[in-house]
Amino acid sequence: MIELKQVTKQYGQATVLKNITLSIDEPGIYCLLGRNGAGKTTLLKSIAGYQNITSGTIQVDGKKITTSALDPGVSYIENFAKHFNLPVRKLLKIASEVNPNYDYDFASEMMERFELEEKKKFNHLSLGMKTMVSTIICLASNKKVILLDEPVLGFDAIMRVEFYNMLTESFQKHPRIIIVSTHIIEEIAKTIQKLMIIDKGSVRFFGTLHSVETKAFSISGLQKDVEAATRNLNVIGQDAAGGLVTRYIFDNPPKQTASLEIHPLTLQDFFVQMVGHKGGTTK
Amino acid sequence: MTAIFAIVKRLLASNKISFIITALAVFCATSSGETVLSNGNYTWLLATLTPFFFVFYDFSKLMHLGASKKDYFIGCLISYGILALCISLVNTGIHLWIDPAYSAQTVVNMMDVCKWTENGMLVAGFQQMFFLLLVMVFLHMLLSMQAHWYGWLADAVLVAIICVFTPIAPLRAILTGFFQIIMLNSNAALHIGICLLLSAALSIGGIAVLKKKTL
Repeated sequence: MIELKQVTKQYGQATVLKNITLSIDEPGIYCLLGRNGAGKTTLLKSIAGYQNITSGTIQVDGKKITTSALDPGVSYIENFAKHFNLPVRKLLKIASEVNPNYDYDFASEMMERFELEEKKKFNHLSLGMKTMVSTIICLASNKKVILLDEPVLGFDAIMRVEFYNMLTESFQKHPRIIIVSTHIIEEIAKTIQKLMIIDKGSVRFFGTLHSVETKAFSISGLQKDVEAATRNLNVIGQDAAGGLVTRYIFDNPPKQTASLEIHPLTLQDFFVQMVGHKGGTTK
Repeated sequence: MTAIFAIVKRLLASNKISFIITALAVFCATSSGETVLSNGNYTWLLATLTPFFFVFYDFSKLMHLGASKKDYFIGCLISYGILALCISLVNTGIHLWIDPAYSAQTVVNMMDVCKWTENGMLVAGFQQMFFLLLVMVFLHMLLSMQAHWYGWLADAVLVAIICVFTPIAPLRAILTGFFQIIMLNSNAALHIGICLLLSAALSIGGIAVLKKKTL
């Protein structure tokens, strides 16, 4: 349904998206991970048709997406989206009026569940509540593609849990492509089907969580043992302390031996290794 | 159509500041001397203020609510039409019933200045309406372009035309001729036709600008 072909986006001399080719065919909840400035927002805005790309093509449901698309069928919301300064209930009502496929019942239910004060004006809400209103509007829009740019920013722990539940419920009710960009990696793992890691404008990883669980491992031991065990494997990172070496792989793990310690990587560790640079230097 | 009318409703509802400023000008403006300006003239202020709000305030908010660009643009055109009609009705009403109250003074109403009243008040009202529609559509397109280089170019071209054409007599005649056609025109059919034609052309330009608009 979403197809990106050799997508490049430049701002002046800076290349923010570098030749991205990607295809998302199936409905599902996708998580977009990346460091600050990795190009997540630019990618999402480009898919939404909020801005033009420098070269390449983006298609949603076979329809080419640019700013010229007067109705791209994509709903995108950023965390600091501004809305009319109206009571929450009225805002949700207007959203249902301007958007023909809007699920007002879902929006109302979510408003009550998140204890959003329906008479409170938008500008008087806290950052978390504002983001929640924007997210509800986006999810209730029922468009074929939903893009949520850091929706949990400003949410407390309880709100985040509720948000993940809302995401799942919304998807079960209307299966479609939902892409969520976030920095809180472990929490969203239970909710998502696929993971996309973007770094310095390029897609570093696009695959299922299952593949991460079955293929992402750390292998520690003496340098010669670790090197021998990982010789023909896809090594994504390495740490060294004294004579001990830890290599991170995304591959089938080697056989366990007495001289090696093999552990599965957490999603966060996998992300760190895939992004692969500390303090601005590549490892 | 429901979405478009919802957008029209929202556009008009969030245009309160324009309404208030216009109302204050209409009710509070005074002039003295033998010749006075009709307070109805100040209703035109609404036509010049409204596009600023539609373009700079409402657009992004409506997009974030899930409205489509197409519905937004049609909604804007319908709102401009409604406002042009309302402004024209109010100014015509003021010209008919309030301006005559200044019996000892000459009251200058733009409807007279533009020679529209030569065709009777009903036709004058329509001429005024279509002229104001043209003004609003023109401003909408010009303001929408301001985020791009060609917006600034358009500003520069407009300023250059005024600065160059005004002091040079033959060019001034062209400029005068243009304004005589679109504004100071007593031929109602020609005037309304030209205003509609230009509004349509500017609307097409407006769509082209909207297609480039980013968020």
